[in-house]
Amino acid sequence: MARVYVSTVINGRSDRVWARLRDFNGLPSWHPGIAESRIENGEPADKIGCVRDFRLRNGDRIREKLLGLSDFDLFCTYSILESPMRVENYVATLRLTPITDGDRTFAEWTAEFDCAAEREVELIASIGSGVFQGGFDALKRQFGG
Amino acid sequence: MIRIVRSTVIDASTDRVWALLRDFNGHDRWHPAVARSAIERGQSADRLGCVRRFFLRDGSELRERLLTLSDLEQAFSYCLLETPIPLFNYVAHVRLAPVTDSDRTFWEWRCSFSTRQSEEAEMTRMVAEDIYDAGFAAVRTRLAEEGHA
Repeated sequence: MARVYVSTVINGRSDRVWARLRDFNGLPSWHPGIAESRIENGEPADKIGCVRDFRLRNGDRIREKLLGLSDFDLFCTYSILESPMRVENYVATLRLTPITDGDRTFAEWTAEFDCAAEREVELIASIGSGVFQGGFDALKRQFGG
Repeated sequence: MIRIVRSTVIDASTDRVWALLRDFNGHDRWHPAVARSAIERGQSADRLGCVRRFFLRDGSELRERLLTLSDLEQAFSYCLLETPIPLFNYVAHVRLAPVTDSDRTFWEWRCSFSTRQSEEAEMTRMVAEDIYDAGFAAVRTRLAEEGHA
């Protein structure tokens, strides 16, 4: 089982950051790598179990299922149903925690998955530095550094 | 039941912060409110269930039991056993997490307790500011000094 962990500090209150991340269909509005997204079967994006079908800027298509969403603990957990990444049992969680001194937010993005042993290092790097850190860098810019 | 959560970011790696916080008997070396501390029965400070008996600078004596200690999660929990301060059923949790994109540390300190209604405001202020915020500030200063030593 491979594990990715990336975390950062965002200069915005956690409720404001959460307002953006909470929308399971909202990746294109904040993540620079995502071109477009839709929720299958016309379901609401906060219905647990709904599936987002989205396209990356490089054309890759990914389908992910919402497993858990909490307005109380500020986290979103999802799994990959279909992707060109050749990973199995991929489950990821994006979690926010308020930083009480200074109205900032601690953001953590974790993933666990199985893959061929020789691809593990490359996948951890591309998911961690590419997808997760890339998303965090964009969020930090959107919230002023 | 009153709940308090305070958190901050320390400009040092989690390993450095954890090295300081992990010692359940070491708070008299970094927390400004704690004058001296000892683990009862000569037990080691990382033995689960051990009790630290300590004195605050104002002379009050407290006893706290270690409930959780995890080097993997870099977290610990403890509860108050005896105190002259009206904090009842006080249980606290400390956890650290790395800020991976800048080699800093997220530190969260939370607790729940009950107290007399007339003292809720003062007890909340005392724990949040005199214990937690003051602890954050002291560790921040200490690690900055170590860093320049």
